[in-house]
Amino acid sequence: MSAAATAPHAARTASNVRSGPTVARVAAAEWTKLTSLRSAWWTAAVTVLVGGAITYLSARASSVDPGFEPLDSLTAGLVLAQVGPLVLGVLVGAGEFRTGAFRSTFTTVPRRWPVLVAQTLAVAAFALVTGVLTTAAGVVGILPSAMSRGMTVDLTADGGPGMLLGMVLFLVGMALLGLALGALLRRTVPALVTALLLVLVLPIVLMLASDPLVGGGDAATMAAAADAPATTVVGTLGVLLPGAAGSLMTTSASAGGMEGAPDLGPVGGGLVLATWVLVLLAAAALRLRTRDVR
Amino acid sequence: MTTVPAGPRTNERTVRGAPDRRGVSMPRVLSAEWTKLTSVRSNAWLALGTVVAAAGTAHALGLFVRPGDGRSGSWVVTSGFVLAQLGFLVLGALVGAGEYTTGTARTTFATVPRRLPVLAAQVLVTAAAAFAVALVALGASVLATAPARSGDAPALDLSVPGASRALLGFAVACVAVALLGTGLGALLRRPADALVVGVLLTSVGDHVLAANPGLVTDTVRAFLPSSGARLVQDDAALAALDATTLGPRLGAWGGGGVAAAWVVVVLVAAAYRLRRHDVR
Amino acid sequence: MIEVEALTKRYGSTAAVDGLTFAARPGMVTGFLGPNGAGKSTTMRVVVGLERPTSGTATVDGRRYADLPAPLHAVGVMLDARSVHPGRTAYAHLVAMAKTHGIGRARVREVIAQTGLEPAAHRRAGTFSLGMSQRLGIAGALLGDPATLILDEPVNGLDPDGVLWVRRLVRELADEGRTVLLSSHLMHELALCADRVVIIGRGRLLADASVREIADRSERAGVVRVRTTDPEPLARELLAAGAQVTPQKGGVLHVRAVTVEDVGTAALRCGATVLELGTESGSLEEAYLKLTGDAVEYRAAGGVR
Repeated sequence: MSAAATAPHAARTASNVRSGPTVARVAAAEWTKLTSLRSAWWTAAVTVLVGGAITYLSARASSVDPGFEPLDSLTAGLVLAQVGPLVLGVLVGAGEFRTGAFRSTFTTVPRRWPVLVAQTLAVAAFALVTGVLTTAAGVVGILPSAMSRGMTVDLTADGGPGMLLGMVLFLVGMALLGLALGALLRRTVPALVTALLLVLVLPIVLMLASDPLVGGGDAATMAAAADAPATTVVGTLGVLLPGAAGSLMTTSASAGGMEGAPDLGPVGGGLVLATWVLVLLAAAALRLRTRDVR
Repeated sequence: MTTVPAGPRTNERTVRGAPDRRGVSMPRVLSAEWTKLTSVRSNAWLALGTVVAAAGTAHALGLFVRPGDGRSGSWVVTSGFVLAQLGFLVLGALVGAGEYTTGTARTTFATVPRRLPVLAAQVLVTAAAAFAVALVALGASVLATAPARSGDAPALDLSVPGASRALLGFAVACVAVALLGTGLGALLRRPADALVVGVLLTSVGDHVLAANPGLVTDTVRAFLPSSGARLVQDDAALAALDATTLGPRLGAWGGGGVAAAWVVVVLVAAAYRLRRHDVR
Repeated sequence: MIEVEALTKRYGSTAAVDGLTFAARPGMVTGFLGPNGAGKSTTMRVVVGLERPTSGTATVDGRRYADLPAPLHAVGVMLDARSVHPGRTAYAHLVAMAKTHGIGRARVREVIAQTGLEPAAHRRAGTFSLGMSQRLGIAGALLGDPATLILDEPVNGLDPDGVLWVRRLVRELADEGRTVLLSSHLMHELALCADRVVIIGRGRLLADASVREIADRSERAGVVRVRTTDPEPLARELLAAGAQVTPQKGGVLHVRAVTVEDVGTAALRCGATVLELGTESGSLEEAYLKLTGDAVEYRAAGGVR
């Protein structure tokens, strides 16, 4: 590069090989955009910290149980930590439109869809790193409780590696879900509301429908719930929500499904989340191709 | 500084425009904020969506209620709160933070440079709007759960202890969530931030902690704003909640008190930031 | 009357405004000029209380802006045309502003008519062009019939009609005895409507003078321009008379240190045919560039010393 700047004929050569934006170049540009945002780093840091802290607290709370199994607490922090990648995805997906940056983006890359692909790659990469760190924070979080009980944490034990992989993939999936919603809805607040609704609030609503105790029901009448059919409509809907399906990836295959829901297993859950992401991304790409950007 | 006459104002310039030049007063700022709230079409859609969410959720959950569940008639009607509170949170956050993201803040605070009356007016306007929307949502929920009541769900019986309090509590809790949104919005100045924090405080935090019952987690749960949701429970449901908690028992109105305390603290913090910090 | 005294506003370690002192007086259009980033908007935001000065004061009619009982009647402000919720109609935006001071809807309709916004009054502000937003901003500034107006780049984005309208408007407002402070980064724009110009660069005051005085600081101020068929003999004649002569293209001479009459008699003496003769009026643009250029040079030189 420096040689090209000093030698005049080298500069001419550079102009001869001028070529337009490729997906790789656009991805590099999107990576620069993402990592130059302060909020991205804040979100990642909070995700890792919250993931580790909640896991630590949860493991400590359950370490007094006689049947305490450290690995069971490993995923406790994800319920909150998933919010970080989700928000990050929404901010990246809708951010272009909210800030008006899309005008320069889409005049630079007029075919537009490479931008969406590039954003997906950049967000996935960023979320991958965040996910690995959050998972590591979770492992660190369960160590003190395990040591206090004189237990060792064996991550290579049955289902351990799959669980760790699932946690990372789950967080990446949440980031991509947020990105897809942001790119589709193009406005931060509606996209964020939809994302939070799908991932956090609807599961609570469905839980109210299936579990009287959450609504303050009487434990004595809980027997009624026991004779419920193995698979219920509510349970099935619940497991097909992106957050619930994705969190199946963090369970071991032998764990069995959720109550009242068909047993999708980790792979099935991952596929459901992937379907959500792909359908929403496809819708966003369609909107990008067929609609004006203003 | 030096030459401004005190006492009766001298007529320095001929009055050209509006006859009344008394300037900013609280009722006027209130009226302006009401105009601002009602003149944005998306707010009307949001209100409608919130009512539909409340009634729709109540309708759907009502269908799953079986006689042995121990759910009361008021529970069925107010069960939409869990979803509808998101709408109230968004409404409040948009009022509190919308000023800053749209640049309206420059106009608003150049017009009312003392600033605090604006926040006070936003609080009152949000509370009034949220209360009205909550009443409509409650009415819609009563209508929407009629099919469930003709089925297995219990009738809406106001003689059940705490049932009428639960219905009133629905509106109060909705107002509290909206005001929390306004406070968070004015404090954080970005609707997205206010929403994420608000959702964590009003529903997800409680949900996460509930998965790990214990003295510490139950105590923390009791002092989260989500305790405000206790207002929509009747006496039997509250007793059941208090029976299972290891933390403090808040009783009938304690949850509302916790939520109100959060609203006040967040609003005071927002007022402090508004007084002290520049507006861009 | 706007008085700014020793005003400093720092963001971290950078000073956006640095010890600025000036006044905008009633009955005058005061132009506020400086390159982009010179601190004009920051100064205006401090004057209307949106930002707190690090030190120094800014007052309107002798009071801090925040202490004015009826700010909208005292000062009309247009800072950034996009200071409107995009989902709100122009009419609703103005009504909300008006309500804070108990101003009636009749006055809102009046300023809408005055700014030519009628066709767009009930459209959402998010759909406005920059010119329309600008008119809405000016309408908001006029709403309270204020004694002082603060307008930040009001002609930005306006079509030629709009530019003419703004010039005439600020002239009328000043002639009614109001104080008008108008910022721009274009000298020639201010030359057409301002009585006095305050020039700042890098947050510091560079000049505070009438338009005439600023023009006189131009390189070409006081130069006599003569076009002739015989430049060489005339130049010799003028040099002999003690003038400084700079030959230009096309038989034009720029002559200093003598009057137009001196040049005329010199031409008669040497028999040169004069085609054009007159004094060059100093260009404000040049004076401005010289002033701001000096400021930059001063900073650079100061760094070396």
